[in-house]
Amino acid sequence: MTGPPVRAPGHGPGHGPGQATGQATGQVTAQAPGQVPGQAAVPASHPLTPAQLADARLAPSPARPSRSGRSGVPGRVLALTGATVTALALLFAALAVGAGSAGDGLRVIGRDAGPQVVATAGLYFGLSDMDAQVADALLMGEEYAERRRAAVARYEQRRSEANAALLKAFELSGDDRAERRTIQSVLDGLGRYEQLAGQALLLDARSGHAAGPPPAEVVGLYRQATDLMRRVLLPQAYNLTLESGTIVRATHDDNSATVPLLRAAVIVTGLAALACLALLQLYLARRFRRLVAPALLAAAAVTVAAVVGGAGALGRAQADLHTGKREGFDPVLTVARARAISNSMQGDQSRYLLDKERADTYEHTFLDKSQTVFYLPAGNLGGYHAKVAEGATDFLGLMGVQAAGADGQRVVAAYRTFQEADTTFRALVRDGRHREAVAARLGPVREAFDAYDRTLLALSQRHQAAFERAIGSGERGLDILWRLLPFAIGGLGLLVAAGVWPRLKEYR
Amino acid sequence: MRRLLAAALSLVALAGAGCAGDRPESVVDLDEIVIAVRPDLPSIGYRRPDGTLEGFDVDVGRYIAGRLGKKATFVPVYAAERERVVTSGRADLVVATYTISMDRKQRVLFAGPYHVSYQDILVRPDETAIRGVRDLKGRRICEVQGANAAQRVVEERGVAAEVVPVRDYAACVAALKAGRLDAITTNDVILAGLAIQDGSGLRLTNARFNEQRTGVGMRKGDIEGCEAVNRAITSMYQDGTAARLLGRWFGRSGLDLSTVAVPQFEGCS
Repeated sequence: MTGPPVRAPGHGPGHGPGQATGQATGQVTAQAPGQVPGQAAVPASHPLTPAQLADARLAPSPARPSRSGRSGVPGRVLALTGATVTALALLFAALAVGAGSAGDGLRVIGRDAGPQVVATAGLYFGLSDMDAQVADALLMGEEYAERRRAAVARYEQRRSEANAALLKAFELSGDDRAERRTIQSVLDGLGRYEQLAGQALLLDARSGHAAGPPPAEVVGLYRQATDLMRRVLLPQAYNLTLESGTIVRATHDDNSATVPLLRAAVIVTGLAALACLALLQLYLARRFRRLVAPALLAAAAVTVAAVVGGAGALGRAQADLHTGKREGFDPVLTVARARAISNSMQGDQSRYLLDKERADTYEHTFLDKSQTVFYLPAGNLGGYHAKVAEGATDFLGLMGVQAAGADGQRVVAAYRTFQEADTTFRALVRDGRHREAVAARLGPVREAFDAYDRTLLALSQRHQAAFERAIGSGERGLDILWRLLPFAIGGLGLLVAAGVWPRLKEYR
Repeated sequence: MRRLLAAALSLVALAGAGCAGDRPESVVDLDEIVIAVRPDLPSIGYRRPDGTLEGFDVDVGRYIAGRLGKKATFVPVYAAERERVVTSGRADLVVATYTISMDRKQRVLFAGPYHVSYQDILVRPDETAIRGVRDLKGRRICEVQGANAAQRVVEERGVAAEVVPVRDYAACVAALKAGRLDAITTNDVILAGLAIQDGSGLRLTNARFNEQRTGVGMRKGDIEGCEAVNRAITSMYQDGTAARLLGRWFGRSGLDLSTVAVPQFEGCS
């Protein structure tokens, strides 16, 4: 930046070697040996030397700016200041964009897709349990009049829960047209389902049959209703839940790609800004004989704080997003799917009892759903029951990974009890003891299922809490960053100006 | 100074490009995709005399490729080769009556199912005693090499049918018509295709005893591609294409098409 002093003309051939040495090493006073100190080496015979020397080496007092400095120095100060400001602007741009995309990611996962999973899983659960309650009510006959009323009441309660979940899912679907069409289709189908179920329940009540399968016409109506529910409505509700998972995965992947890049940009631009500040500092110190410019030193400190704090906040937001997905959202989604399939599984028990013609189909779907949730290789339900009862723990399937840990072990234990109850229940059906089978289905089997479902719910709630913690922590961190950002920008602007402006003024 | 900044920024950009390059290739990144379909199942995936492939699976594959904005090339694949074409990368999508199972899921990723079919029974027009799977007790059914449908009747359902090993479905149909067999049991769409091709009035019982989820086989790990295929399948049902294709290929077979609805997806992760 500062060129070598032009001194050759001042050290003509007339100088001795001693003088030359003195000139070469002497820095501040540049005296020739024997000269009286204080007597400036400004002989008239060397007109160029003193001015050049003073200009280049002695840093003139601000009151006497040199001729050559008049045009060069302010220009260089301005250029260095410009580079510093540019680097700082890039730094804050990177910080703002990084915080923006991390915040978008947290919002999509925490406020959009996360709640959508809860809403659509609630929808599936409500719909599936409606169908199970209708099947139960149709099996009860006259003997269980009181319980039949309770089942119908629960059916109606589930219907209003499903309606509420549908509204919520619609609200959360935003402008996703495919999702909205799906919700619309579920809404339409639900109306038809209620009609069919209502007719079946009415006809069943009139028939006054004993506990066990109702008359064929009731079975026929219920068949239409349950086909609509299981083949048309439930898959759509389930796919809505999966779609939320898709949105979260895509958002998380985007964020994992962009946020670390922006974080690196924050560090690189921050280092560049620091380098500019250091050069500015160095230049001013040399030019204006100052050790440090306190304002620029403070600016460097604020920049360091912005880089460390900003990169740290982006890193933490990214980590929180990752934790929220892996330890919160993903398990919540998996358990929601497992609960949905399990609920429809226990409905298949009632349908198995209700519809003799389709008993084989319902037994197969029960096995199929069991294997989706807790997979063990088995060719038929008997084989599966045996393996579960043996205490197998090497499950694959949805809950395979979730089965680890204390909560997971409780789920597995409760599931085993439920499958044991199913074994007993099916033995009763095979022996033709239908009344006892109905009693088993409404008593121990249902209780075992409810206990199993409670363990799933507990597991889900634990992950839901982890999810909310992670999202909350990420959002708080970014919130602090956004609050501090304007102060850092304003402060740095003032400090740089304060560091440079007085020096520039000296040239006016 | 500016040069330093520029160098630093281009370093960052390079790092970014490097990260993007590490991502495993997904079908969504391709311009052209290869779809494997069956050449041996009439109405599903069938090679015409001119060598072109046609059927329900071919049309589904074409629709999915269109939705993904890709050009599709079709290659024939027999049942036993389906896993290999996808793991070896010879095909990007396998749309070939590929039933989703836990065992297969260990090595292949399944999008969909795009169709839920049932195991069903095909009988001669005059056969009235066979209405459900239990009626197969003591009756002769064929077992095609590499297919497990007959075993599912005997083992899974515990019905003591007499299993007759046969080379392929064409031989099954011939034996059924000649009275050497009493029934053919497998996937209902396969039976529907056979009945249509035969044209002599073989009858589907619509017994529907085992649900089978027919999925799109993909390379394991291509979650993004799988999700894109699922969205394509959703729109195939929402815009009425699925109902139209099922009607076109199976409408004349007696297959129950009263309920056409998007299946419950398997999930991509």
